[in-house]
Amino acid sequence: MSFHRITLTINHTLYQVDIPGHLTLLQMLREKVGLTGTKNGCASGECGACTVLLNGDAVNSCMVLAAECDGADVVTIEGLAQDGEMDSLQKFIIEEGGVQCGFCTPGILMSARALLNRNPHPTEFEIREAISGNLCRCTGYNRIVAAISKAAQYEHPAA
Amino acid sequence: MAVVEKQKTNNPVGKSVPRNDVLEKVTGTAIYTDDIQFGPGLLHCRVVRSPYPHALIKKIDVSKALKLPGVKGVVTGDDFDEYIGLYLKDRHLFARGKVRFVGEPVAAVAATTEEIAEAAVELVEVEYEELEPVLDPEFGAQPGAPLIHPDLGSYERPNFIFPVAGTNISNHFKIRKGDTEAAWPQCAAIVEHTFRVPHVQHVPIEPHVAVAKMEENGQMTLWASTQSPFAQRALLAKTLHIPESDFRVIAPTIGGGFGCKAGVTMESIPCAVAMKFKGHPIKLRLTREEEFYTNFVRQGLVIHLKVGCDKDGNLLAFENRMYWDGGAYTEYGVNVTRAGGYSSTGPYDIPNVKTDSMCVYTNHPVGGAYRGFGMAELHTGVDQVMDMLAEKIGMDPVEFHKRNCVQGGDVLATGMVIHDVGIKECIDKVAQALDWGVKEPPSSPNKLRGKGIALAWKAPAMPPNAGSSALVKMNADGTVTVSVGGQEIGQGTFTAMAQIAAETLGVPYESVKVSGPIDTRYSPYEWQTVASRLTWSMGNAVRNAALDAKKKVLDMVAEAWNEDPKDLDIKDGYVISYKTEESISIKDIVVYGLPKPNDQGWIGGPVVGAGSFMPTYVTGLDAETGQGDRAVVHYTTGAEGVEIEVDKETGRITILRAACSFDVGKAINPALVKQQMEGGFVQGLSSALFEGMQLVGGVTRNPSFVDYRIATAADVPPEIDTFIVEHAQDDGPFGARGIGEHPLVPSIAAVAAALHDATGLRITNPPFSAEKVYLALLDAGLVE
Amino acid sequence: MHNPHPGLPEIDYIKPATLEEASRFLASHAGEARPFMGGTDCIVRIRDGVWKTKYLVDVKGLDGTDGIRFEAGKGLTIGAAVPMNKVAAHPDVQKHYPVLVEACHWVASYQLRSRATIVGNICNASPAGDTIGACMLLGGVLRVFGPDGMRDEPLNGFFKGPGKTNLKPGDIATALFLPLPPAGSVGRYIKLGRNRLGDLAIVGVTALGYPDASAASGFRFGIALASVAPVPLRASKAEEILAGKAIDEGVIAEAAQAAMDACTPIDDTRGSARYRKLMVRNLTRSALVDIWTKIRK
Repeated sequence: MSFHRITLTINHTLYQVDIPGHLTLLQMLREKVGLTGTKNGCASGECGACTVLLNGDAVNSCMVLAAECDGADVVTIEGLAQDGEMDSLQKFIIEEGGVQCGFCTPGILMSARALLNRNPHPTEFEIREAISGNLCRCTGYNRIVAAISKAAQYEHPAA
Repeated sequence: MAVVEKQKTNNPVGKSVPRNDVLEKVTGTAIYTDDIQFGPGLLHCRVVRSPYPHALIKKIDVSKALKLPGVKGVVTGDDFDEYIGLYLKDRHLFARGKVRFVGEPVAAVAATTEEIAEAAVELVEVEYEELEPVLDPEFGAQPGAPLIHPDLGSYERPNFIFPVAGTNISNHFKIRKGDTEAAWPQCAAIVEHTFRVPHVQHVPIEPHVAVAKMEENGQMTLWASTQSPFAQRALLAKTLHIPESDFRVIAPTIGGGFGCKAGVTMESIPCAVAMKFKGHPIKLRLTREEEFYTNFVRQGLVIHLKVGCDKDGNLLAFENRMYWDGGAYTEYGVNVTRAGGYSSTGPYDIPNVKTDSMCVYTNHPVGGAYRGFGMAELHTGVDQVMDMLAEKIGMDPVEFHKRNCVQGGDVLATGMVIHDVGIKECIDKVAQALDWGVKEPPSSPNKLRGKGIALAWKAPAMPPNAGSSALVKMNADGTVTVSVGGQEIGQGTFTAMAQIAAETLGVPYESVKVSGPIDTRYSPYEWQTVASRLTWSMGNAVRNAALDAKKKVLDMVAEAWNEDPKDLDIKDGYVISYKTEESISIKDIVVYGLPKPNDQGWIGGPVVGAGSFMPTYVTGLDAETGQGDRAVVHYTTGAEGVEIEVDKETGRITILRAACSFDVGKAINPALVKQQMEGGFVQGLSSALFEGMQLVGGVTRNPSFVDYRIATAADVPPEIDTFIVEHAQDDGPFGARGIGEHPLVPSIAAVAAALHDATGLRITNPPFSAEKVYLALLDAGLVE
Repeated sequence: MHNPHPGLPEIDYIKPATLEEASRFLASHAGEARPFMGGTDCIVRIRDGVWKTKYLVDVKGLDGTDGIRFEAGKGLTIGAAVPMNKVAAHPDVQKHYPVLVEACHWVASYQLRSRATIVGNICNASPAGDTIGACMLLGGVLRVFGPDGMRDEPLNGFFKGPGKTNLKPGDIATALFLPLPPAGSVGRYIKLGRNRLGDLAIVGVTALGYPDASAASGFRFGIALASVAPVPLRASKAEEILAGKAIDEGVIAEAAQAAMDACTPIDDTRGSARYRKLMVRNLTRSALVDIWTKIRK
């Protein structure tokens, strides 16, 4: 078993981590870095609970090897709030009632953040598409969709 | 931004206050079981599982596994001979001598890493001799079917479960009310039909995970993603011969349950292993695939129904014969069967009823509790035959439902007189929201469009004496800490409990904290977080505890002020006197007390209120007739409707809009009630359109999200109208009763009715997949 | 029962500096080593034990695997390491190859497409691959670096069976070249899954049509079918029908029927062979009607 020393930025902090080749980014975040907000729901890229931003875009962290992430920039749910101020998506998902058990919530928020970063004015269906890889068994989704829509309007009121 | 901080909400019951558990959840800081760090002493557990549905175990050889570096040890059925089971004690922790379903635990490995444990699992050699499996409950119930539990007659059971020794029937619940045979000739129309409801999985997004640690002194601690910490303590302590007080269960934040984390599921495995390796925490996480293969399922159902009415559409007679595919063991299945039995008519008033509800052992996965506890399966058949009967007698389904639905004072099939219910209002609200009676044109010539409505009822299914308790602790800063033993599983119960405590005590909602995680060492007892019973049962306990605390505060102040406590009250965190208009903040005094007049000593002291609740009025039912005074505590009733389009090119159903309405007695938090309705409806919709375990030869063929599809955000109708109806529950806190499960119950039947309205087809075996619908359209000549 | 590993079994991650180094390693570890691009197939199949891989050889960033290059008058080159979202968002791809954008859109979920690559989709040769049909109809050619240097592999004839292709140990697909689509061409990808988004295809139909004076009908069509044969399938009989006589609704129906007759689907957990065949007919007809409505003008 070979080990790799990688250096990467996680939530604006530089880390150096030693990891074996088979470790996924998800496992590294949870087990080596202690960031357990990113959740493991299926380990096969289907449920979206492990979604993080990798170099700015949403990925399933269970589908990325940690060894590939040398030099990468990773943002997890723990890095979504900035300077103690919650992201507007966090505020609106609370306000709209889009959280129940909360296990899918970190992944949904990261998918939604990536969406609004690339498309500040998504249509309702674009929102549904963007989170269609994030399974939620509690809420029925509509309140999550409403929260993302409201966050978009709040961030870019012009539209 | 409308997110408000430092708000003060007085008299919060009935208000949609924000949840008290969400900040942690949106920031990733909520601690779920898998997030807890246990340090380098942690051992990982993986499980050797049966590849066969039914086989004898001839030999288990663990020698190769033990030689693998990093392997601490292996345990097998030889190490544990006790039986376990919530109702019928019919299973061992690990298979002994015989395996009865694919995925059944045969042995478990403990190792220093999950990878090593997994590698060791592959080195355990098990020799099997295959036996003929039972793969259909109706076949399994017949004489001559292979016996899965030859010792059924000797299993320990409670007095309301009726196994039939020498068969595979683990519970046979009967109702004999009136005389159906005499009633059939009086019927102007009769419908007779059979429905098959498949097994489905709960699919919480958080898979099961549990960590167990036994100390050298024999004390056991279990951290588990669980709905039932107290039930797990009771069952596991007994089975493992540990005094209950030495068995501690800690239940951190849970990522969804829906029933699959109720009772004892996989938690027994790390506990058993922990007994062998004292001092080491032992962790078992199920993979998603193990969730599908090995977890409790919503058991399949074969339901034969016959129902008749007079020429005016009044129901006269009803026969219901149900074969529940209970699977290899019956943790919950026997009681699902009982609940399906006593509620077997659905929310309809019928004078003559004959029901046989049978739980049958098969070599399928174990039947468990699933949101709705038998009711969704039951209603899938019952509501459809009602829809068919309305059609046959030429009556609009809404009119038919309203004519026949239960009303306060009706004598139910069990002989129980039902309390006031608002189901008629629910039907009206749903019908109105869907513009019932207006036939909308389809959106294109390639589509067919239709509407359907279905009713639901459900009672909390539990032992007659399931109890709750609560503590209300007053803090010097004027806040209140509520301790309960029921679990926040996403339904919002911690929020509702804070509202009940705040309302009762007279403090703002924001001043009340509910302490978690649930810890059987420190939290007051709660039977289980199941059955939609917490708002009602635990809510009563919290209210009683808050009343107790309030009394203590008022007594203290009354003594200090030399007043009658009856003239005092607490408002907005201040004790006020209606008589003197004096007031004093509860801060400090609820801990440090008050000086006596003239400073001659002190009054009061730290205020802790205690309360409990247990229904005392539920009676047994006669084993042969199912008759008794009060079968259940109460029923929550309601209705759902959908408008759908069917694509003639593919058979795909699109839900255009939906409406749900339930009588919740009193909505403690209307927004949370609506969220339960929406989420439950969508889960039901998902099972109507997509879900079913493909069991072939006892093996689940779709054990992953790749092949077991659940609804995504793109499958959901953007508009789901929800309507709250409030006919107060006489013994509910502020009149409340539960709503957690009910919205899932009528979804399948509502879609089936709409499908019939759109196409004329009746499909009796959900899910109504595009393929099933298209081939039915084709076979009916509706498409070429 | 097939119970996958909780994480990944122990594998080594190899990051070679050059294509030559990567190819040598892959050739000398045949059967144990695989080129690693987006990883979305690799990780799933290694985890569930279908692939007994010991070494993942990361070829991202090696010569020619990065970037999307459009050359006017020639065509488009998509690096093997470029994830589908980048392809679908590229202005030149959107302008000149809209059918590929449409096909990308239907693959799994957004976050999976952030990693999954078109070239990976082709190399893994799943009969259900959503983007393969578009690449075939567009005349795609794989650029492959192997032990003997660079070579071209046209996609027509590339697929040999489920997961089986012309690629040999030591081969690394570095890019996909797509020539300019014929003038006036219009394409469609229609996918049927069990639920609306994210499923593997029960049936996927890609069709591309364009005016062509050399055809008797004045038009030429390409049709590729997913999930209904051991390999991504061209419906050549249907294509011939559409080229051979003046196109009307009846001819489209005839072609759709020919596509249905050409496929050899199986029953699996996603759908029955019977349903799949019928859906090939219906979805092919829908796609052809859509395209025909646009290109006849």
